[in-house]
Amino acid sequence: MNGATVTIHFDGNGRVYHPGETLSGEYRLHGLEPDEIKAIEVSVLWHTRGKGDEDLAVHHFRRLEPDNGGWLAARTTGRFRAVLPNSPLSYQGMIVKIEWCVRLRVFLSQGGEVLGEKIFRLGRVASAKAAAS
Amino acid sequence: MARRFRVWQKKRGNRRTGSPKLGSFGEAVFFAAFFLLGCGGLAAVFATLVVPQWRANHEFVAGRCLVLDSRLGTKQADNITLYRPEIQIEYEVDGETYRNWTYDVRGEYSADEARAEKILAQFRPDPNRRCDCWYDPSDPNTVVLVRSSGWWAWLTLIVPFSFMVIGGGGLAYLVFSWGKSTERRAVLAGRAGSRGGNGHATSGFPCVPSAKNVTDSPGTTLAFRLPTEAATAWKLVVTILACLVWNGIVSVFAFGAIGGHLRGEPDWLLTLVLLPFAAVGAGLALFLVRQLLATTGVGPTLVEISDQPLRPGGSYRLFLSQTGRLRLDSLEVILACDEEATFRHGTNTRTETRRVYEQAVFSSQSSDVRPAAPFTAKCEVELPAGAMHSFKSDHNEVSWKLIVRGDAAGRPRFERAFPLIVHPPQNGNPDA
Repeated sequence: MNGATVTIHFDGNGRVYHPGETLSGEYRLHGLEPDEIKAIEVSVLWHTRGKGDEDLAVHHFRRLEPDNGGWLAARTTGRFRAVLPNSPLSYQGMIVKIEWCVRLRVFLSQGGEVLGEKIFRLGRVASAKAAAS
Repeated sequence: MARRFRVWQKKRGNRRTGSPKLGSFGEAVFFAAFFLLGCGGLAAVFATLVVPQWRANHEFVAGRCLVLDSRLGTKQADNITLYRPEIQIEYEVDGETYRNWTYDVRGEYSADEARAEKILAQFRPDPNRRCDCWYDPSDPNTVVLVRSSGWWAWLTLIVPFSFMVIGGGGLAYLVFSWGKSTERRAVLAGRAGSRGGNGHATSGFPCVPSAKNVTDSPGTTLAFRLPTEAATAWKLVVTILACLVWNGIVSVFAFGAIGGHLRGEPDWLLTLVLLPFAAVGAGLALFLVRQLLATTGVGPTLVEISDQPLRPGGSYRLFLSQTGRLRLDSLEVILACDEEATFRHGTNTRTETRRVYEQAVFSSQSSDVRPAAPFTAKCEVELPAGAMHSFKSDHNEVSWKLIVRGDAAGRPRFERAFPLIVHPPQNGNPDA
């Protein structure tokens, strides 16, 4: 389990997506034996950063467990796919920031978890400073 | 070790750095204690109040008795004398004679002496008069002269029951969230921002405030009349309350201090301490007068817009009307965007607002406003392409508004805000 990592790749090498577009990609688990994994959760979500307390909403969620179909295929590599919503768009404000990401959480059989995350932009909103200038 | 198990931590809302497991354990202990306290209290209330009352009303057997004696029972509690009626009766059960002091099953004392005396007067010893009584068939020595509805006993259940609900609810939440990731909890709690289905696009705009409130009032010149931001009215109400409470308290002490001076017995310490408080009170009163003048001295401001909701890069017509009887030195309309963040700091919840965009869309120099001839103007407002749309979540908000700011002769500056709803551009692309 030491040195276990997660890598996430988006199809088409895309980093900026628009509402209604399909976000798809692949994840890979490195340094983990299949029997070390208890469950995997794949989420497409947005959360806020900045001065305020964090708000978070999950747009797409999938949990893979041994008694769940597709488990064997998902052990070391897997795919995700979600049609993105109209809002909220990614935003870099002064005290409010909205960040979209794909988050992979691997729960280990002996406790603990490995987390992987890849940020993407939804929409093309100018940062607050750019809008102000 | 220190990283895994931090007892001491920073208290900064969601950024707290302590051990989550220790935190959950502490919460579990707290809620379990509440729940057990509630259970114990409920059992005690049932055993001492509800069950005896219910048995007296439903299981005790009716009989007849002879009143032998009566007395006023007393006891001291916290330097207060409490009373209860005590009546000695004689009654027979299965051929056996019993003598006991009793009145009701509760046997409670109260501070109401008159009530106890009144009850005693109803049960004066009389060898020729027999009264109703009810005895416990399993223990004939337990007997009562009255059976009451006992509705108040059910009321006492509220206290332990509320403890049980708080404790049980907290424990249920901990069990529900135990071992679950933040994302899974968000999904299970139905907090998914899209709410339109797992991974599917939605036709609506999640986290964008509804435009219903700003489109339900048609305009006379343009399509929609914009509502005024409620914050102005709330500011006035809060100022009035603060002024009344502060000056009310200060005036109580001020009357005492002034009275002392008038009687020739001045209390200089009280007078000196009161001075800064009186100054703050005077400042509050002055601020209130300015607020009242700004709110009520200037007539209503009306703003209409050609379309709602707005889109970044879009251009919209505005109609402005200022009523009242005043001379305007200046009047301007500003398009503004504010970010608002709410956060916990220790045990406090604070909100910080930052203006991230401000653009003048109209300005006018001196003009007279009369009731029959309000000031009117038409102008255009353009939203910058690539601007952020309106956004609102539990602790964060991005809001757009039009601000009408005016300086009127002899009056404090007034400012009125009119919220706007801005939707994301088509496909999220400002160039589309």
